[in-house]
Amino acid sequence: MHRTVPSLPLAPSVKVKLINAGFQVASDLTDMRPLQLCKEAGISQEEAVEVLQMLRDDGQPHQQRAATESLTALDLLHQEQALGSIVTFCSALDDALGGGLPVGKTTEICGAPGVGKTQLCMQLAVDVQIPVCFGGLGGKALYIDTEGSFLVQRVADMAEAAVQHCTLLAEDTEQRQALEELTVEKILSNIFLVRCHDYVELLAEVYLLPDFLSEHPEVRLIVIDSIAFPFRHDFEDLSQRTRLLNGLAQQLIQLATQHSVAVVLTNQMTTRVSNGQSKLVPALGESWGHAATQRLILHWEGLRRLASLYKSPSQMEATIQYQITVQGFRDAPDEPRPTPATSAVSSPSGNHSKHPRMEDRS
Amino acid sequence: MVILREGVCPGINEEFIKALQSEDIKTGVALVAVRRVLLAQYTAFPVSGADLYEELLSSTAILSTGNPSLDKLLDSGLYTGEITELAGSPGSGKSQVCFSVAVNISHQLKQTVFYIDTKGGMCANRLLQMLQSKTPNMEEQMEALQKIKVLRVFDVFSLLACLQNLRSNGLQKASVGGGSVKALMVDSVSAVLSSMLGGKQNEGMSLLMQVAGELKMIAKDFNIAVLVTNHVTKDGNGHLKAGLGQSWSHAPRTRVLLQRIEGAETSSLRTATLTKSSRQACHLVEGFDLCHWSEERRTSISGKRKLEERSKP
Repeated sequence: MHRTVPSLPLAPSVKVKLINAGFQVASDLTDMRPLQLCKEAGISQEEAVEVLQMLRDDGQPHQQRAATESLTALDLLHQEQALGSIVTFCSALDDALGGGLPVGKTTEICGAPGVGKTQLCMQLAVDVQIPVCFGGLGGKALYIDTEGSFLVQRVADMAEAAVQHCTLLAEDTEQRQALEELTVEKILSNIFLVRCHDYVELLAEVYLLPDFLSEHPEVRLIVIDSIAFPFRHDFEDLSQRTRLLNGLAQQLIQLATQHSVAVVLTNQMTTRVSNGQSKLVPALGESWGHAATQRLILHWEGLRRLASLYKSPSQMEATIQYQITVQGFRDAPDEPRPTPATSAVSSPSGNHSKHPRMEDRS
Repeated sequence: MVILREGVCPGINEEFIKALQSEDIKTGVALVAVRRVLLAQYTAFPVSGADLYEELLSSTAILSTGNPSLDKLLDSGLYTGEITELAGSPGSGKSQVCFSVAVNISHQLKQTVFYIDTKGGMCANRLLQMLQSKTPNMEEQMEALQKIKVLRVFDVFSLLACLQNLRSNGLQKASVGGGSVKALMVDSVSAVLSSMLGGKQNEGMSLLMQVAGELKMIAKDFNIAVLVTNHVTKDGNGHLKAGLGQSWSHAPRTRVLLQRIEGAETSSLRTATLTKSSRQACHLVEGFDLCHWSEERRTSISGKRKLEERSKP
């Protein structure tokens, strides 16, 4: 154990007392008994027991390996290929995302009201359950609803459309067998719904998620719809909000990596005024932009709905069109090819389109 | 010399003498010997300027980043023994630059790279894409991928545990296996520290200084180039500056700010501004394209001309 005492996860007052008593390295503490430590450092009995317990847990082989184990990029590549991704049933979006929403990363979906964020989340909660033989993940979903916009009837419609889609695709006996088990009731029963009313409940829920995921290892998707709502109204201290959000983001990416789940967060938009011009930007501040691994911005352009991939570790920026139908989130009928774009929210009728649009000029 | 007895000097009492006697220390000579050993182990000895210069020449290496514009900005590349920082707003390309540098070091220079990922942004697929554009040979790609070692930690205490472990035995183990470790990247340092700073918390600064100290010690003791990424905040005039405040600003030797170019034709163009450097004048700006990282290298004849063309924003 080569940990120095200041770097241990203990309360600051306890650490100050330990350092003043002369303990500099964690190995100085390992052979101490609680009563001895209590007397030498001047801390209470419970604190001494806590310190020694923490050191013993830290010294466990699996904990040490977690901190020191390094994968080579080659191992990581194999792991990534094994994890797969969640399709969205909109082929243009799937291509832009490189196969679908990646498992093991956090994705943020930002958009103005009514553009389709909750629809996409509900579609993903259904799509994650598509059986493995059809190319899906066959997993369950956890839906944390903070706005109250989850509608069971809509999910039932999407589930039915998904089952019909799979029925059309079924070719061999394995697929037909899996199809028999795939019913609307089963799909609905595999979505765990949690309703959080304010940010304290949301933080508590995220804190309890590791235990939940250990008990339900087949969960492959966590949706938080939306993460902006509880943090935007009635929060006086903005710097505390930034700190809480950063801590939350780190907890979520830790969950995503350790339990191999895809985490989807929904964010709202706010207006930023600069140089006399106003533009729509994602809410929750500048530093929240660093939190999610991937960022998808949904926006309107006239009557068309567009999705732009704004930030991604492995995909190029792209803008695609989609539509919301009775069956759910689908491709737009006339323009299935993805068109690259510079910035999604810079100007509404931008000069970044490759072909001239007659209706914009008028 | 003097036999140790109670009252010989302040601080020696009965209990202390008994403890020393059980270790077979009976006279003052032994204590002085102990003191000499402790001094030799823990003090810093003065070194002459000439020796220091010799040591610098022999041990410092400059690692090229693979992109000529960035190399020009960094005075020909990343220096070992120092911390270099990349700051930028979301989507400005910090992680992509880190990937490109890691791929260049592992493939071109054939050295091992340690990559500490705190945000989940490490995507091995992207590394493979970059390697595929450099060489079509599968074996070379796999070999280069094996030289990049990834560690994933998500909070500051795990980061400190990881760094301390690297310092004590991790780095030596990695260099024994073949291929010395020449670079360490931490992406990003602000993700784990920013939730600990500010408000009523009194531990944040201490943890920040500990992380800075560990990174500097690793850089110096093992002759490694450390590259960290940071987020940006706005200062009083609305200009972008790197985050984590004044205290962190002393940790990296060189700081570069990355920005998108507004209204550019291709979305992968970026500008890099040198905001702190001990070797070059500050506020140098270079433009580069994230997609074509080292395209200039392929056409060696018209290399210079292409570089000038690309520098124009």
